Amino acid sequence: MDKPSHLSVILDLSPTQWALCAQSANPTGITLQTFLSQLLAFLNAHIACKDENTLAVFGAFPGQSGMLYSSTGEITSARTESTDANTYRPFRTLDSTLMTLIAERLESYDSTTEEAPIGLVGCLTKALCYINRAITTSSSSVTEIEGAVASVDPRILVLSVSPDQSSTYIPIMNSIFSAQKLKVTIDVCKIFGAENVFLQQAAHLTGGAYVQVERTDALLQYMMMSFLPPPAIRQLISVPTQDRVDFRAACFCHKRIVEIGFVCSVCLSIFCQPVPVCSTCRTKFPIKTLQRLRDARPLAAAAPPTKPLAPKNGTATPARPG
Amino acid sequence: MAPPAGRRIGDDFVDDSDSDVSITGLEDEPSRTKSKGKGKAIDRNKKDKGKAKAKEQPYAWEASYTRSWETVQEDEAGRLEGAVQDLIARGRRRRLLAPAAAIRRTIIRHLVLVLDLSSAMMDRDMRPTRFDLMLQYAREFVTEWFDQNPLGQIGVVGMRGGLGERIGEMSGNPQDVLKAISERHKLEPNGEPSLQNAIEMARSSMSHLPTHSSREITIIFGSLTTCDPGNIHDTLDECLKDRIRISIVALAAEMKICRDLCEKTGGQFGVAMNEGHFKDLLFELIPPPAQRAVARAGGPGANPAADLMIMGFPMRLPDTSPPSLCVCHSQMKSEGFLCPRCLAKVCDVPTDCDICGLMIVSSPHLARSYHHLFPVKPYAAVMSLEDTPDPSKRCHGCSVAFRDTPSTMFGAAGEGMSPLGRYRCPECHNDFCTDCDVFVHDVVHCCPGCGK
Amino acid sequence: MAGPSIRIKPAGEPSKSTNISGEDSSHRLVAFLQSQSQNTLTRLYQKPSSCLSIFRLLRPLERQLVMNLLWLEMPVPASTMAAWVTREGKRPYHDALATLARLHILPQSPVKHALNPTFKSSMRQAITGGGSSGSFGVLSENDDKHPPPDIEALDAYALERWETILYYMVSSGTGQFPARPSQGVLYLLQRSRLMANVHGNTLQITSAGFQFLLHPPHEQLWELLLQYLQMAEERQMDLVEVLSFLLMLSTTELGKDYSMENLSATQKAMLEDLRDYGLIKQRTATSRRFSPTRLATTLTSSSPPLPTSTGTGNGSQAQGFIVLETNYRLYAYTDNPLQIAVLNLFVTLKSRFPNLVVGQITRESVKKALTNGITADQVISYLITHAHPQMRKNKPLLPVTVQDQIRLWELEKNRVKSQEGYLYTAFASQADYEYVLNYAKQLDVVLWENASRRCFFGSVEGHANIRGFIERRSAAGNA
Repeated sequence: MDKPSHLSVILDLSPTQWALCAQSANPTGITLQTFLSQLLAFLNAHIACKDENTLAVFGAFPGQSGMLYSSTGEITSARTESTDANTYRPFRTLDSTLMTLIAERLESYDSTTEEAPIGLVGCLTKALCYINRAITTSSSSVTEIEGAVASVDPRILVLSVSPDQSSTYIPIMNSIFSAQKLKVTIDVCKIFGAENVFLQQAAHLTGGAYVQVERTDALLQYMMMSFLPPPAIRQLISVPTQDRVDFRAACFCHKRIVEIGFVCSVCLSIFCQPVPVCSTCRTKFPIKTLQRLRDARPLAAAAPPTKPLAPKNGTATPARPG
Repeated sequence: MAPPAGRRIGDDFVDDSDSDVSITGLEDEPSRTKSKGKGKAIDRNKKDKGKAKAKEQPYAWEASYTRSWETVQEDEAGRLEGAVQDLIARGRRRRLLAPAAAIRRTIIRHLVLVLDLSSAMMDRDMRPTRFDLMLQYAREFVTEWFDQNPLGQIGVVGMRGGLGERIGEMSGNPQDVLKAISERHKLEPNGEPSLQNAIEMARSSMSHLPTHSSREITIIFGSLTTCDPGNIHDTLDECLKDRIRISIVALAAEMKICRDLCEKTGGQFGVAMNEGHFKDLLFELIPPPAQRAVARAGGPGANPAADLMIMGFPMRLPDTSPPSLCVCHSQMKSEGFLCPRCLAKVCDVPTDCDICGLMIVSSPHLARSYHHLFPVKPYAAVMSLEDTPDPSKRCHGCSVAFRDTPSTMFGAAGEGMSPLGRYRCPECHNDFCTDCDVFVHDVVHCCPGCGK
Repeated sequence: MAGPSIRIKPAGEPSKSTNISGEDSSHRLVAFLQSQSQNTLTRLYQKPSSCLSIFRLLRPLERQLVMNLLWLEMPVPASTMAAWVTREGKRPYHDALATLARLHILPQSPVKHALNPTFKSSMRQAITGGGSSGSFGVLSENDDKHPPPDIEALDAYALERWETILYYMVSSGTGQFPARPSQGVLYLLQRSRLMANVHGNTLQITSAGFQFLLHPPHEQLWELLLQYLQMAEERQMDLVEVLSFLLMLSTTELGKDYSMENLSATQKAMLEDLRDYGLIKQRTATSRRFSPTRLATTLTSSSPPLPTSTGTGNGSQAQGFIVLETNYRLYAYTDNPLQIAVLNLFVTLKSRFPNLVVGQITRESVKKALTNGITADQVISYLITHAHPQMRKNKPLLPVTVQDQIRLWELEKNRVKSQEGYLYTAFASQADYEYVLNYAKQLDVVLWENASRRCFFGSVEGHANIRGFIERRSAAGNA
């Protein structure tokens, strides 16, 4: 049970979103500075739990993504070789490396130009590649000592402030499936902003926790209680589970998030409105179907919940959650 | 297309064949295409597949030795580790070079798995018996099949005592199917098989299906006879009319009727030569087949099979929500899925909403098949860094450091191997290591650099 | 005589799981700390480094509970805390609370729980950094004349020291005289009853010592250090200072030089002892600085405390070097005298090559080990922990035949059951014999009988009765 665990943390560092978050009054926002200091305490706590615990931090920047820290030493910054006797040295290295790199990256962004979409997908895939390598090397190499130590029990924690980008639907889903294959748990902490449909699905499908932070002043406590315990401990300590999972998808044509879509029977591409030709596989659809669907659509669109489609046996249909 | 000798030891590692003596086939290609015997067991239609086993191991007794040890070179320190690792990497890489063009596939599949439960299955020419091996492979097949065809359904039919026997109903739940074939004692083989009865039974269970799904029958056939009540060629014609594709994996020898069934319906036929080949043949039927039949039938213009379907993506209620009655069983339950159109609560997806008739699927189900549609472009092997102004020091995926000097083990550069261990994405021009190259293309299906 | 009932543990997994660092048992040091007074512990918790190290030695659930409570300002109602755990977690949860209470980290309270304030503030400081305790060791200033030793040198040094101790122990009975460890180490070994003064002043390894040799290095290290702690009390050393220095060492970094300036007198005195054990290295005995070795820096982790290579350049030895076949033949890829000596405890070594030793596990060799006080389980667990990577592909790891046989040999030792009693012989007549025997049987004290020789053996409890019976009878006969 007591085996080392790996944690990959993905930081959403969109300057715009963080600026919005800092100004937000309801719910109370949190500045990037405060957030980072709480985050460092959390990361230190992860390393503190066990000497062999490993950590990798990835940053998602507008249009970019990159590794910010890794305990196996892939990323080195100009280390401050200070002789601080008051801090455990790994903590100090982590803190200084992370803070310097984040500051460097954020300074290089021009606040006047429009912000590119956040590089969340890049981070996810990189984290998966990193974990994949950690798994394969530990299982194939002869360096394993006790056999049991080799299983690293990996997790990914996504700290998100940006809203869904529907253009990344397919890559995110692909990442989720690979995480499932690698048995990686994806935890999601939504610090600011509305619910994130794709990340909800990620947490749900990989058995992770999805937490929408309501009180940012208690962020550290949220993280300690929900995201610090490795999967083995979660059988003993209950972590917050998700209430409802939204299984909506994004359409291929306008990248809208839809709850009722039109699906090509050949390639399963999703469209938000009836189209004559599938844009993915170039299949032409019969005219009759198109007409039938066009006729049906206004009804479907105009008559949502209120339409008294009499529930069978007087079943009360639960109200659609807001 | 005899592969160069240097590659062969790599195949051994990849295919985990049990000896280090790999076996060359009779190299005369034409003799294998359309003549007698088991040797031509491979259907030519799928030459795009890397069919290492069948090609290189026709029969154990036809094998000649390949001096695999001569292809291994020692490095400076006289150790073999480097060489072996290179060969492994080479084998993995080679698989990736298979064509990756987007082909149209029928993704909503319906399959009836027909198992031969005749007394011929008790033969011990495959270990432990044909029957046990078939059950074992069938289980693996079902698991893998559902993994790759999440929207598909499988039914199971057995051939025993001259009858067709329904073992498992059409179901989209792998657990149901696995349960149907898990109880060995209920499937004890006896009597004669009847191809016609089994096919008729399978056909009737698929007759009601909508047009935009594929209908397939996969038969595992161990007997050399079939005991039919009528003319099996009539059944074949019916299948053609219903556009059912029949594939057969035979365990004994080729039969004319089996080959006809497969060739006329556009399926695959193969005779398994050994245990490994049996598995290869069966597992080749897993990936969604390209829609050949359709393209042939009417050209791209009038594709009767293609259709636009309307689907709803539900909201999942947790088991902590207040309980309410579901529309499918009228039971009080807290967990369930809400139909997005009429907000009725159903217990399970995918299903048709009982109230408004909307097809409800969970979107991850659909998304599981998207990597077939948008494959990652193959990475190009970087041969030298001369034309790269500022080469990255680390892999863009996992941040492992690249080696600085080209590996010396490369007698034949080529085969898509990079001496530097770098593979570059054609879109975003980032370099990746061998591990990530394989991982990105095999598992993630999404390039970490460009997110496509 | 009833034969001993033979119960063989199922070979393979169960025995393995109990051996590998005991999943459910607390760490040795934690057990030791639980016996200390609240005052001592509170003083210990003043140092952030001590808190961090002790925290790491806790079990996972305990760690998580501490972390949950660490950042809360207010006490948490016990009922709220109980709601954190799932149903399966109830028992481990109560165990964890009990342990934490005994450690005075989380004082027991039926209503509200809050961490020990000293522990809380130190632990927070450890995690966030800052403060002025200097408890993580003061690095000495860079000195161009004496650069800090490189990691390889440190590893070699630690290994040499540690193996000297073990090798001395293992060869103490054999008449060889390898390098003697220092007087302090010898005293410690004697104190801990791993070795004993047999005749005169030659030290001889005890059966506890033999068992010790087969333990994994981590346990060996802690076993000695705990002895050291107990000894420290007798030597009038301040236990808190000794402990916090050890715990500080475990948070130091390998390959760095630390300054002695902040150390108390007690801790400076400890340096000499720790140098002997190989935990730290000093350039000279009077040097003002010290560098911890891997033995010290991995005290609170489970990564191997000894460098991976033992002697030769081949790194695969520390992972395991033993190949055991079903025919009891054993191949050990090693040239390390210590490992060979340890193997020699229970293997008949046949031939030796530059990097390979071949031997055979025989009845005699195992019996020799058993008489030395080593148990069959210890032999098996030693073989498992040191199995060659190739062996690890087998399932079960060791051949079942060999495992069972070793256990059977152990049972063989327990074949004879002794029982005190009296033998009754020389009965005058068959009738006499049967009469007495009958009486004894009624008392149910007959252990053995032989009618043809007219004798039987009765247990000691029945003797008074039988004796009285015979006397009464003979008195009656005479009369």
